[in-house]
Formats: sequence, structure tokens, C-alpha cells
Amino acid sequence: MAERGGTFIQGESEIASMSMLWGAAACGERIMTSSSGPGYDLKQEGMSYLSSYRLPAVVVDVQRYGLGDGEITEGQDGYFIATRGGGHGDSRQIVLTPASVQECADLTYLAFDLAEKYRTICIILSDGGISQMIEKVVLPESREHDNKKFDWAIIGHKEKDAPKVKVTNLDRSMPYDEYDRLVKKTYKEMFDHEQRWEEFQLEDAELVLVAIGISSRVCKSAVRLAREEGVKLGLIRPVTVWPFPVKAFEKLPESCRALATVEMSLSAQMAQDVLLASKNKYPMYSLLTSKYVATPRQVVDYCKRVLAGEEEELEVY
Amino acid sequence: MMEIIRTKPEMIHQQVGWCGGCGHGIIQRIIAEACEEMNLVEDTVQVVDIACAYWSIDTLNCDGIAGPHGRVAAVATGIKKVRPDSNVYVHAGDGCCYVIGFSETCYAAQRNVPITMIAVNNGIFGMTGGQMNLATTLVGDKTVSSKNGRDANIAGEPFDFLNVIKNYPIAYAARGALYDPKHINDAKKMIKKGFTYQKEKKGFSIIEILSPCPTNWKLSPVEAMEKIKNENEKIFPVREYVDIEQGGVL
Repeated sequence: MAERGGTFIQGESEIASMSMLWGAAACGERIMTSSSGPGYDLKQEGMSYLSSYRLPAVVVDVQRYGLGDGEITEGQDGYFIATRGGGHGDSRQIVLTPASVQECADLTYLAFDLAEKYRTICIILSDGGISQMIEKVVLPESREHDNKKFDWAIIGHKEKDAPKVKVTNLDRSMPYDEYDRLVKKTYKEMFDHEQRWEEFQLEDAELVLVAIGISSRVCKSAVRLAREEGVKLGLIRPVTVWPFPVKAFEKLPESCRALATVEMSLSAQMAQDVLLASKNKYPMYSLLTSKYVATPRQVVDYCKRVLAGEEEELEVY
Repeated sequence: MMEIIRTKPEMIHQQVGWCGGCGHGIIQRIIAEACEEMNLVEDTVQVVDIACAYWSIDTLNCDGIAGPHGRVAAVATGIKKVRPDSNVYVHAGDGCCYVIGFSETCYAAQRNVPITMIAVNNGIFGMTGGQMNLATTLVGDKTVSSKNGRDANIAGEPFDFLNVIKNYPIAYAARGALYDPKHINDAKKMIKKGFTYQKEKKGFSIIEILSPCPTNWKLSPVEAMEKIKNENEKIFPVREYVDIEQGGVL
């Protein structure tokens, strides 16, 4: 980092790391932190505080599987904690989900821009499968950042009568009702304008798979394999999971008979968002693979059973 | 007409909100006087805790951050990394600095980050209604969470945090008190020394100040000052512990 003009600090804890970011973000700097599973839990306190004053930051969660210490292998069961706001209080953060090493790089650049555009935390929700993968990557051009360009930030020495910046909970530089309206408006703008997704062979699909990260890579292979065997699968790969790409489900092909998520979790997490997005118009299924990465064969066989009416519909609880 | 030799610092631009007899207001005043006398107001970034020190966010006319309980040293570390020429000080309680924030304070010292921490030792959690402070409540002191007096067999004994932090490679550590004008002036000198060492990039400084909390101690302001002098100071001696200009640990 130092060679590129940046600073890297190894925190004594994830709590301290988030607090250091809080101070640096309040000074207008571009900042990021990363962790996984239990460490991501500890960052929640700081995320709530940063969200309260609407400080931009990039937080990476490379999901590992399981409760408690769980496993150090890949997982996707951190979906809820990443998409339902960080820490206590009611907040929303943009959540990006890379499915390749190239996308890890590209989405990180995007994350900083979105974080500053909306004054929000932008979360990169990856998994151990994607983040430990070796692939070719082309790094975008480096860019300079002016940490004195924001009028809300602490910029250092000021003239005597210049207004001072106070970084406080709920941004007390404005009346509470105004803050309330501003935050709600920002959440809505992010929801309206930042939905991102990829469609794959959707046009004539009878069953549409929905998956992110490492599971979406498997699903792409499964779509190809199924079509070789005469089964028309398609795939929606959300690139943002908050805002969830609701728009992708507004124009599903007439051929679509059912939806199925493939998730590395114990209970169907993303499937709840798919149900909301599709307004319960389609029978909904979930292939839940817990700590195991699904295989294309496993996904295709599951989809065949779904289309044959041999699998039970998802029960949400 | 009499000559005016001292006025309230201009940096204090709003009415303070602390209870009557509280030491926080005196501490804020000597911080403000130190900033003005050292011409640091326009370079100062205050970091306050969300407990009783929080009121200072409104009353001091400088840039400031108020936030996470116990994390002030880490927040100040982040600020100092981005704004190395700012005068970054922390005004926070003993619960924040020594209990929930023990780790953050120690590791700011371990990194020798050139910030100045002003830790208010009033032996109690004031903002939340007067609970025992594990680091600073004296054995036998009654609080809402030690109704029969602190029992060392259950809650352990209070400890002198400056004896812990003096082992790190820091620029300055000292303890002051507020129970008479001489000690208030001495505490202000300690704060100015901390600010000076920060400006000269000599490293981390911490000034602990023995301060009264008449509301939660359930004493009159005068009785609270006498308690500090007669009881608290015996456990928490008023002196300098580390001074890099005097060779380090004293």
C-alpha cells in the first residue's frame, strides 16, 4: 500500500479496525477493511456508527461457512447479515457480489465510487470459493483521491471563522426530520438506480436458477449441461443483493414455470428476496448445499426433479 | 476600573450541559484555554466519548467527532493518519478509556500514535446512572451496581492504568486533579505538555484527571472534592509517570 501512496494498518481487533476507519472516513479518506465470519460480526458496531453519519466506506466480507467458528472453507450463509443493514438501527448498504477474480477487482473500484456517491457503506460480499480462486485479472488504472473535496469531512487547518465540522450520530448538522427524509430518500435512490444483475440463457428457460458467487459459477455450467440434455435452464445472477435486482424478475420469459436458488446455507436466505422480487408468482425451490459447493450434475438432477414435480416447494420460515 | 486578566475562552461557544459540580466542565475549560494559549484552535479535532464527555461536542467551537463508546483511541488513530498536522485530542471517561476501551487505548500507545488522551477518572459510570467502574471505583465505594460497597472478592481491585501504559514507548503520561486552583493549573500544564509533544511529533500522551461526580457519588460538590483529596488520590497519585524529555519513565 505504501508504495502506491496508501496506508495499511493491522488492527488489534476488527472492532478497532472499524473505529480507525471511522476516524479516517470522517477526514474524507478512501478507506476499506475486510474480514470473514466471526470477524465480520465484530465490524457491525462500527458499521452502524458509520451509517449514522453517512460516511463512505468499503467493507469486504469473504464468507466462510457456519455458525460460531464454523469452518474456514467457503460458505454463503452470511447473506442475511450482509443484506439486512450493518449493526443495530435501521440502515441499508449497497452489497456487491463478485463471481470472478476480475469482478473482485472491478466491483471494488465501483464500490468506492458508489460509497462516495451515496455516502454509504458499500459491502463486497464474496465467498471463500471466489476469493481463493486463481484467475487472470486486468487491474483498472489507478486513480488519485482528493481527501479534501467533501464539505462534510474534517479537512484539517481552517481559517478562524470557517464553520466547523462535527461528526455525530444521526448527523446533527441538520434537523432530525430533515436527516430522516434524506436517509430514506437515499435508500430509495439506491434501490431505484443501483440494481445490477447478469442474465444467462434466460430467453426460453423453463426453470430459472438464481445464484451468486461460487454457486453462480456452478449454475452457469449446470445451464450448459442441462441444455445438452434437453432441459431448458436459465440463470439470473444478482450482482447486487442489496438492492436486490427486483427488475430482473419483472420480465421473466413466458416459458418460465419455476424459480430455484442454489445457496450454500442451511436455510433459504436469498430465496426470500427472490420470493419478494417475483411477488410469489412462481413456484419456488432452493437447493441448499451447506458447506459443500454444488456440482453442475447435482444442480441439473435437482432441476429435473423440480420440473418432474418430485421436489417440494420452498417453505419460508 | 479593574483590569480583566482572564475571560472565558472564545472556543467555548455554547452553554455546557453537565451536572452542577461535575469536573468535566473544568476539564473542558482548561482544554480550551490550552488550545487558545497555544494557538491551536483552528487545528484542533476533538474526539469525545458518547458518555458524559459527549456534551463537549456542542460546546467547543472546533472540528470534532463523537462516537463509539470505548473506541476513541482507535478513532483518533484514524484521524491522525489522515490529518497528521491536526491537534487531535480525546476527552473521554475512565469507562471508555480503561474498561471497554482498554485494548484500544493500549494499542494506540503501543503504536505511539501522536495523539493526546485526556481521561477523566471520576470512579463511576456517570451517564448510565452511576454503576461501578472496574478500573477506578474504590473498594468500599457504593454505586448502583455495588450497593453494599465494592467488594474486591467479587469485582477485584481498582488499578492504576498509568502504571500499565507507562510500559509502552510513549511520550507522556501524567495524572492531575481538580480539587483546588493549584491542581487545576497543574492539570492544564500537563495538557499543554501533551499538546506540545503531539505538535513536535514525539508520540502518544495521556493525561488522567481525578474528577468529581457529585450527582452519582451522592455528595455535595465540596464533599466530592474532599473525597478525591482524602481517598481517591491515595490510590491514584497525582504525578507525572512518563516524560520523554525527562528520560522516559519517572
